Amino acid sequence: MGKVLGVDRYEVEDVVTAADVIAETKKRFGASGAEFEELTRRATLAVNGVLMNYRDGKKTRLANGDVVGFVKAAAGG
Amino acid sequence: MIKGYAGRTLEVDLAARTFAFKPLDETTAELYLGGKGYGTRLLYDRAEAGIDPLGPENPLIFATGPLNGSVAPQSNRFAVVCKSPLTGGIGNAACGGSYAYGMKRAGIDVLVVLNRSETPVRLEIDGDNDTVTFLDAADLWGKGTYETQEILGKKKYHAVIGPAGENLVLYAGIVSNERIAGRTGVGAVMGSKKLKAITVKGSRKLEMDDADAFKEYTKWVRGMFKEHPVLGESLKRFGTAGIVGTTQARNIIPTKNFQRGNFDDALKVSGEYMEDHELVGVKSSCIHCPVTCGRDVELEGVGRVKGPEYETVALMGPNLEIGDIKKVSEWNYLADDLGMDTISLGAVLSFAMELRDRDMLDVGVRFGDPSGVSDIIRDIAHRRGLGDDLAEGVMRMSRKYGGHDFAMHVKGLEMSAYDPRGSFAQGVEYATTNRGGCHVQGASMYLESVGPLTINPQNLKLKADIPVVQQNLACAINSMVLCIFTTYGMIPKRIHDMRPDSFAHKALSFAFENSGPLFLKAMQMKGRPMLWWEKWLTYITGTPLSGGHLQEIGGRIFNLERMYNLREGVGADTDTLPPRMLNESTFKGMTGGHPLDQLLPRYYKNRGWDAAGIPTAKTLEKLQVSI
Repeated sequence: MGKVLGVDRYEVEDVVTAADVIAETKKRFGASGAEFEELTRRATLAVNGVLMNYRDGKKTRLANGDVVGFVKAAAGG
Repeated sequence: MIKGYAGRTLEVDLAARTFAFKPLDETTAELYLGGKGYGTRLLYDRAEAGIDPLGPENPLIFATGPLNGSVAPQSNRFAVVCKSPLTGGIGNAACGGSYAYGMKRAGIDVLVVLNRSETPVRLEIDGDNDTVTFLDAADLWGKGTYETQEILGKKKYHAVIGPAGENLVLYAGIVSNERIAGRTGVGAVMGSKKLKAITVKGSRKLEMDDADAFKEYTKWVRGMFKEHPVLGESLKRFGTAGIVGTTQARNIIPTKNFQRGNFDDALKVSGEYMEDHELVGVKSSCIHCPVTCGRDVELEGVGRVKGPEYETVALMGPNLEIGDIKKVSEWNYLADDLGMDTISLGAVLSFAMELRDRDMLDVGVRFGDPSGVSDIIRDIAHRRGLGDDLAEGVMRMSRKYGGHDFAMHVKGLEMSAYDPRGSFAQGVEYATTNRGGCHVQGASMYLESVGPLTINPQNLKLKADIPVVQQNLACAINSMVLCIFTTYGMIPKRIHDMRPDSFAHKALSFAFENSGPLFLKAMQMKGRPMLWWEKWLTYITGTPLSGGHLQEIGGRIFNLERMYNLREGVGADTDTLPPRMLNESTFKGMTGGHPLDQLLPRYYKNRGWDAAGIPTAKTLEKLQVSI
């Protein structure tokens, strides 16, 4: 995420759902085009470590203090 | 002789200073492949029950498999097998570098080192002339692994120990080039024999059943690797530390001795950060491997050295609340040079730091502060002062100083860097893996929480099934001997390319997650070789081996390891996780830890074991495990 947006972490306010986070990210960083599309194509969101796929998808509601991460598939050792 | 094997083993007696080449046992090779499997069979048969792991009766076994010596990607690794001084049960570790290739060129499938030398010794093995020379190693004793290999000659094939192995640090490893057979204290066993180094040479070539088919197919595999998002892209570009962002976002990166699952500065020790700030020049790889997961970094005062991989950055980064890649790189280099497992070392340091926080012991290091860490690492390697206690590992430290609840080990082996509270199948794998709290004897987390086709890692579905399949596969892979990373390619590119929020991806994940007992049955079906390691084995040995065949072979090896452990007193009571994992949650809104008690009975059943976790006679007979 840092390579696409230029920052590793940032705070957002007045968002209600996971979809709002994606929209706010796009708006705040002017991220657009192929790079942002690649970020959101390959990555999904995790809310407090839990993938939004296992909650309510992009409609997953957020609470104050929640940590949202863009998660890409990876392999380690 | 079966193709793919040199056809002989070498036994070296360090006390008598004698050696003998013996024929490879073909039946054992057919049943156990080679590597870890063959080594485990040898250990079970040759070593008496109850031996002292650091005593002369513990055989130290270096074993290759039928894929070693070929130019197949990821194929030049060797396994080391012995009784572990850290756990008291089965000890094994695998290592890349170039030593495996050297062993096969010398025409040696398995090397068994017996007894102990009175004085430091090193071996030079000439496989062309069938000689073993015992050389005085007093001048090398005390030197680091890098200097030792430099002195012995860069263009040769070595396996060496550093001061940690010489001083019997219970998590000392054996080094080949800049790779290490790190886990379970195999380096301490080598040190207990006063064996500093083994150098092999020879010019024998691997004989294959169908060399032309192997060559053509390997070309295709190399092309496939190049296009693969993990094997050709992320591992090459970011190394294994490229997974930091994923484990951070999934709340499973060990932080502050596993008190939490994420760390504010985690990304400052990531593969991406290293690419932007620290990476120097060409990435490094094991011989013949195109993945190039290794990376070099620039260390002040030292120069260009091997950089840290994921386990090290996680366990010596966030786990110590350190977000400084330079410091982690420095400690990684130190640990490698001294010859120590960085996983165990990271866990020992974080345990020591938490003991300090709780006023239970002060070794001069604390969370979030890099000062004193380099000194204590050296003290551990030389067993100086309190370093002597830390050299014993987390389990023994907790027996002496307390802190059992937050001593992060399983069976005495310190846990690796995927928090199982966010990856339930990985937790079952940790609890049941025969060598202890390890992730590469299965890597369940790849299918569950970090890979491209994940399932909900925090429900009970498939969590007692995935570990069985993955452990069996890993046993087979570590017996061929291939790099476990090759299995990351079994999820093809087209699945990586799916949008995670697409209907197709969700449908596939749903189907996988709800496959239940069908998953296990499907994986165990014997058919035609399909995946590349199956085809390589077939082209080399002439025996068609499918995934189902390898599940059987892997299950055989796993059950033999289990029987070894039971014989040595490492029983089913050790199939557990640290109390912190079982009782504390790190996820907002959740209570309790890992539900191991709900999964273990089904795991035992899947394994064909009784309710007490003992393999049944029927299972052993079916798998042809003689005990």
